[in-house]
Amino acid sequence: MIKQMAFYFNASACIGCKTCELACKDKNNLPIGVRLRHVFEYGGGNWKKNDGYWIPNQIFTYFVSSSCMHCETPICVEVCPTGAMHKNENGIVSVDKNKCIGCRLCQQACPYGAPQFNDEKGVMAKCDLCMDLIDAGENPACVSACPQRALDFGELSELQAKYGTVSGIDPLPDPSLTHPSVVITPHRYSALSGQGTGKIKVEV
Amino acid sequence: MNVREFALVAFSILAQMSVGSFIILGVVHLFVERRAGLDQADQMRDRALLAIVPILGLGLLASLLHLGNPLIAYKAVSKVGSSWLSREILFSATFFVVGAAFAFMQWKKISTPTVRNIIEVIAALIGLVLVFIMSQVYQIRTVPAWNTIATPITFFTTTFLLGTLAVGAAYVANYGYLRRKDADCAEMQCSLLHKTLRWLMIAAIVLLGIEFLAAPMYVAYLASLGGAAATSAGMMVGEFGLVFALRLILVFLGVGVLSVFIFQNAAVEGKDQVLGYLTYAAFALVLVGEVLGRFLFYATYVRVGI
Repeated sequence: MIKQMAFYFNASACIGCKTCELACKDKNNLPIGVRLRHVFEYGGGNWKKNDGYWIPNQIFTYFVSSSCMHCETPICVEVCPTGAMHKNENGIVSVDKNKCIGCRLCQQACPYGAPQFNDEKGVMAKCDLCMDLIDAGENPACVSACPQRALDFGELSELQAKYGTVSGIDPLPDPSLTHPSVVITPHRYSALSGQGTGKIKVEV
Repeated sequence: MNVREFALVAFSILAQMSVGSFIILGVVHLFVERRAGLDQADQMRDRALLAIVPILGLGLLASLLHLGNPLIAYKAVSKVGSSWLSREILFSATFFVVGAAFAFMQWKKISTPTVRNIIEVIAALIGLVLVFIMSQVYQIRTVPAWNTIATPITFFTTTFLLGTLAVGAAYVANYGYLRRKDADCAEMQCSLLHKTLRWLMIAAIVLLGIEFLAAPMYVAYLASLGGAAATSAGMMVGEFGLVFALRLILVFLGVGVLSVFIFQNAAVEGKDQVLGYLTYAAFALVLVGEVLGRFLFYATYVRVGI
């Protein structure tokens, strides 16, 4: 029955606390630097002078929690020379660590930066939508952890029926590149991919 | 850049130089055979041919250094149907095997010249396909700086430019060896060397022209695309501007300047030593220049997205 599992992300609810990132790191026991879920702060605007006073001019910021989008046309799977990167019957894209040779071409190609190189093991690490937890009837670690309930998961068509069909807001890439299996509720200041005026804020 | 990334520079340069050398050796052999007979043509070529085997072997070994898990590198050929990288590994290995088989058969004079010729042509075709495949590995729609026609153009230019100059240097070395061994037999070889070097320099100048046209057009084109492409273009003239300039200068010195002297010295007799040094120098300059160019190719990688 289930054809394509997917994440849902509500940008209007996310406060950028990164609890999802931490939960992911903990669940997957990831080394420093490998972030299978990654929260980006995106913002823009400036100040303008009005009658001798500087006033804010369309200043905004919002957060996007990004992970693997389990794309319909996953570019990581296209470029993988070993078949380690594969899409299973539930539409989940994951890496078979016994086949991965660590050439990192998937990392170079994925516009979401989803596959990441685990230097300790010499192979790629990637979000598998916590399929072990899903199989046990639980939620993925990031979904469970979110204090804002900004993350959800489920069958793509059901999520789309519930939340709409937006699958790309800035700073995420144009969805036509890989057809991500994701549903996003935009923030009130967010524009569709490629149409925004802001940029990703430098992380501290 | 770290060891893993330099491994790719080494692999791609050595593999392309091997393909280029193999093909140039074959083409020159064809002309020399008509002019001076099979024996002379073989004498001129066969040692250079054997030298390609360890060079390509080194390149293949270098490619392993790129991997996080080289012990199961053989799995890289499992997706030949869908992955260009898989095809690249398959064709690299096949070119190595067929090319080495030909070099060995030629060395030991196994089988007939016709059979050997057929194997040589097959290996050359595999080599050409390999260079094309290598360029397709980088046609990734999320990396605009790689996803252009410039990638196959520069890969083929590098292939033949390095091939031409490496072969020139190999002929010089081979001639020196022959002369030390048997001064008499070297007379014919001497005239063949002089004539061949002049043709090689003409070929190199044409390739230099292509490279010098392609490089600025490529940067201008990337800059005009905006986004990630423009970021790559900015790195080429900004952060890595010095490398970009140095690369063009070295290749220009090697081909544009030295080839003129090589051409002149090859036209007169008794300048063998100078001619030899010039040819080695030209090869060294172009090799360093092309390595820098390939370094830039990887260093200016910018992907769209996050």
